[in-house]
Amino acid sequence: MTIAMTGRISLEQAKSVVEFLELGQQDEANAIIAEIQNPINSELFAEIGKLTRQLHDSLTNFQLDSRLSDLATSDIPDAKERLNFVITRTEEAANKTMDAVEAIFPVVNTMAEQVAAVNPSWTKLMNNELDLSEFKSLCLDIDTLLKNTGKETQHIHSLMTDVLMAQDFQDLTGQVIRKVIDLVREVEESLINMLTAFGISAEPAQEKALPKVGKNLVEGPIINKENRDDVVADQDDVDDLLSSLGF
Amino acid sequence: MKVLVVDDFSTMRRIVKNLLRDLGFTNIQEADDGNTALPMLQGGNFDFVVTDWNMPGMQGIDLLKAIRADASLSHIPVLLITAEAKKEQIVMAAQAGVNGYIVKPFTAATLKTKIEKIFERLA
Repeated sequence: MTIAMTGRISLEQAKSVVEFLELGQQDEANAIIAEIQNPINSELFAEIGKLTRQLHDSLTNFQLDSRLSDLATSDIPDAKERLNFVITRTEEAANKTMDAVEAIFPVVNTMAEQVAAVNPSWTKLMNNELDLSEFKSLCLDIDTLLKNTGKETQHIHSLMTDVLMAQDFQDLTGQVIRKVIDLVREVEESLINMLTAFGISAEPAQEKALPKVGKNLVEGPIINKENRDDVVADQDDVDDLLSSLGF
Repeated sequence: MKVLVVDDFSTMRRIVKNLLRDLGFTNIQEADDGNTALPMLQGGNFDFVVTDWNMPGMQGIDLLKAIRADASLSHIPVLLITAEAKKEQIVMAAQAGVNGYIVKPFTAATLKTKIEKIFERLA
């Protein structure tokens, strides 16, 4: 705010003030002083008036942006629920997948054991070294193996379908997360509008702000590794760093 | 060999348990942070600890420090499996006496190699 100092006192005005005072005419002297100050006062008042109007408009706009209060009271709590839904669904999917995989492991192990049990006799048979009694026993083992394998492959197939179906979370969580991203974008815009209304620059900060870290510098998964030089890119980087420390 | 797997996410504990079982570890117990892990360790003859870093309650790095500071536990090898990837943190873990550091996401092969290396060194 600048106010032009147009109200400088002139020599004539100063002389008149002195004359009036010498003559004891206090009121006339005061009138000249008031006349000198007047231009300053009127500009100051004009400037204050302008600022008051701006402030009033800003406050009115701010109140008008009722979307902001909807965001705070309804959309954001809703987004929290949505994100919790993502956690629940991904956890369920991980557990369903692991249920199936853990059920497959022993089946595959049993099949591997049965194959291993048959293998020595089979090799002997192929080399014509198997006697009749061994041959009979081998036939029984192979019979068990075939029956078991036939049954278990069906079982594995159905478990693998479970693994496949457990991946359906991706579609649902993807949609939910996209909605939350839209909400974040809207909140960002509202906040920028608010800053603009108060005359604060909403230009993105030039310096890359480092993310907030917790105790022991914890930050969680780094999603922009390529733009960071304070983090390792992969396990090889970890191993190199540790070996440079004499590990 | 008795192993304690410490992670706040039950799915990650389950993954690590499955991988460890594949590597021949059958006696595996679980804890969801350092505060639950430490009394378990003090109570029961564990031979190996696999822990996450970022957990509510006591973090993995603080669990590691607590293990190293306790004369009855200080010999137990500790493997960190974590998404924490700052160089400064890896140095911090090394200085605290970690035996291995695996950054997430990781593979079964990485886990196998690191565990083999840890036990080769201790042998």
